[in-house]
Amino acid sequence: MAGALSGTARRPAAGPDVGQPRPAGTMLARARRVGRLFALLARRALLLAVLLATVFAAVELLPGDAANATSERGESAADLEQRRALLGLDRPVLSRFTDWMTGLPSGDLGTSARGESVADLLSRPFPNTLLLGGLALLVTLAVSLGLGCWAALKPGGGADRAVSATATGILALPEFVVAVALVLVFALWTGWLPAVTLTDSDGSPASWQMLVLPVLALAVPQIGWNTRIVRAALADEAKAPHVESAVIDGLPRHRVFTHHLLPGAMPTIAAGIATSTGMLLGGAVVVETIFNYPGIGSVLAGAVADRDSPVIAGVVAVTGAVITGVLLLADLVRAWASGGRT
Amino acid sequence: MNRRQVLWAGGATVTTALLAACSGNGGTSAEPAGADAKPRKGGTLRIGALGRAGAITRDPHGTQANESDYLIISLVHDTLTAPGAKTNTAPRLATAWKASDDLKTWRFTLAEGATFHDGTPVTADDVVWSLRRLRGTPSGASRLPGIKAANIKAEGARTVVLVSDHPNAELPLLTRLTTFVLKKGTKDKEIGKAPGTGPFKLDWFRSGNARLVRNEDWHGGEVLLDAVEVKIFESPQAMSNALLAGQIDVASNVGAVAARTAEKREDIRIVRRPDDMAMPIVMRTSSGPFADPKVREALKLAVDREAMVKQVLSGYGKVGNDILGTGDPAYAKDIPQRARDLAKAKSLLQEAGFDTSKTYKLHTTEDISGLAESATLFATQVREAGVRIEVVKQESATFWEKTWLKGDLYTTYWGTNDSVVFLASKTMVSDSGQNEAAWDSAEFDAAYRRVTGTKDPAARAKVLRDLQRIEHDESGYLLWGVADGIDLAAAPVRGLPTLPGYGRVQLERAWLAR
Repeated sequence: MAGALSGTARRPAAGPDVGQPRPAGTMLARARRVGRLFALLARRALLLAVLLATVFAAVELLPGDAANATSERGESAADLEQRRALLGLDRPVLSRFTDWMTGLPSGDLGTSARGESVADLLSRPFPNTLLLGGLALLVTLAVSLGLGCWAALKPGGGADRAVSATATGILALPEFVVAVALVLVFALWTGWLPAVTLTDSDGSPASWQMLVLPVLALAVPQIGWNTRIVRAALADEAKAPHVESAVIDGLPRHRVFTHHLLPGAMPTIAAGIATSTGMLLGGAVVVETIFNYPGIGSVLAGAVADRDSPVIAGVVAVTGAVITGVLLLADLVRAWASGGRT
Repeated sequence: MNRRQVLWAGGATVTTALLAACSGNGGTSAEPAGADAKPRKGGTLRIGALGRAGAITRDPHGTQANESDYLIISLVHDTLTAPGAKTNTAPRLATAWKASDDLKTWRFTLAEGATFHDGTPVTADDVVWSLRRLRGTPSGASRLPGIKAANIKAEGARTVVLVSDHPNAELPLLTRLTTFVLKKGTKDKEIGKAPGTGPFKLDWFRSGNARLVRNEDWHGGEVLLDAVEVKIFESPQAMSNALLAGQIDVASNVGAVAARTAEKREDIRIVRRPDDMAMPIVMRTSSGPFADPKVREALKLAVDREAMVKQVLSGYGKVGNDILGTGDPAYAKDIPQRARDLAKAKSLLQEAGFDTSKTYKLHTTEDISGLAESATLFATQVREAGVRIEVVKQESATFWEKTWLKGDLYTTYWGTNDSVVFLASKTMVSDSGQNEAAWDSAEFDAAYRRVTGTKDPAARAKVLRDLQRIEHDESGYLLWGVADGIDLAAAPVRGLPTLPGYGRVQLERAWLAR
């Protein structure tokens, strides 16, 4: 997929002047480019649809159903049947899935097993999760770029070895271990930061300090992962002929770094960061529980317990859309970076 | 979090609650030494309660799967009666009730001067409308058993009449927990903001969190706190962290694990609410390997109750005597406590011809903390009597669908430990809908009918003792112990409820010494 784009987004060395008639070839190239973009989008959308179908099927395979899981102890069999019919659970899974999918383009995510609109159910927690994940992504990007570059400046030096070893150590730590350690140290022992996130009357975190620990808990393992990617990408790129020639040409070191080394390493780094997006959103489920963060994680956990397919699929759809968007962005960065190089 | 407990407590079963004078020490918690004796007005209490974002409900007659929702609803809306300390049914919106001689017709008198938060007086019509609405919900039949909607009527402005299909001496007990009163004709979409009659008025509600302010005109007396802020927590661990870090003042129903963590902290008080949760082991009486009463007695003798309480409940609980309803003021304390007797257990098994070469399955879930652990420890203990048991943990939905009411040997749990009759009616009378052990005893059924049909309290207590003796001797329940409900509170918090189960939502007498 990335290859499809990398050719198209190449910036022409000199664009046609405005007002001048465009050569037919350029028009065709542009149409082809747009076509490829759509093809890519369509492929991603199809992938998402398959994923959503899998979600419906997986929930179907779990023991019990939504009517059962949300029933009260002692509800009679007749009551259960009635609610099952009300929720449409007596219909085949395929027709329920089709119904749900046809509502999707209009933003209708269906109704939860407890009778709430899924779109409403996600409207508050999802922005909170995006905020948490977005901040964690920014921190990951900034810190791993910084550390990776620092380590790459003097390959094999003290900094390099320390950074690489630490990065390897922390990338193996699951989020919940990091989270529990952070709470112990920064909330319960020192009292510097709040232990959990409490929400305001508008449903968002009551203060910015409450974001610090959840963001760190999510970012730390990803920093470990991405620092290694940055370090490795820079090391690979350092061996590239154009970098070597730049060094031989006697260009200043920082200029070689920013104009030759980094752009070449960018596609790999972008891909690494893009992969982290999925990991960050996945990790959010765990981290949100530990910090009582009002995000989508708690909605998802509850929905699985409730066998609530529309809610689970709704969460998958919105997070899937975000991840697809980020992957697309990463593709564009790769395309831009490789285009810029030639 | 224990979804089921809350589910049935909020709904089907009227539940949990109350406790009782025999084990309770009154309406409020033991205060720290040197505490101010004089309650002080003012302050905002921040209280954490368990709940899941996806299960939030605003409807007082809906399924309250979240403790946080139940807490908010209970502070805003009054029930007809409430859990009490000295008797298991205390007045709330109804200040008095009286039965006809046949114990079928009950008249409830509403509190003088009770008003909704918007100032309009509460009338019998409002109550009748609310009770009928409650009766019309999917689990309405189990919430108000034996009372048809048409048999709920107003008599004048302040009397509500309930006519039961059968004599029921304990009918007021049923009106303790979910009989929240709304204004007549409240529309479904207005329910989130509908005025209640409770000690607090809703200031705002968002995503399961709420701020409630004092109702200066509450019919039930002076409310001391300026406001209560309810914070929803998905996990007890996060809630306990929030308390330890000073972000909330009370962690409600947070459990024994959190209490153990807090034991070392002098600034945190552990509030124990005795008789909160029973987790009996159920043995099927109608068929299967435990159908022989001798086998059931053998298992009841093989369990080491003290060890169970100590290890499974971290000591936060007390030993049980195979009678459900330990918190009932009429609980039969004089029936001798069954103790461990391996020799007798073995000989009973032998007499019954029990096959000790087989391995029997004990099904359990992890719905509430300690439940699966109790099964494991039990299996180890009865091994010493020669019974081989394999513990099978089932995922919650599977357990309730496949095992509950059907299995030969499984764990269950109940919160209404304040009423022997209530549990008998739900789980032991032969035609009860949730007869977990499939028990069919003509003697027990007759005792039950005598209890619910006897008007004189002293005479009823006597037949109630008979009922408990039969239950102790023969039923399919092995009740090894009862867990305390545990709240954690910051030092300045006073006047927290100590009633079990949903007694904990009674925050109108709480105050802050700071």
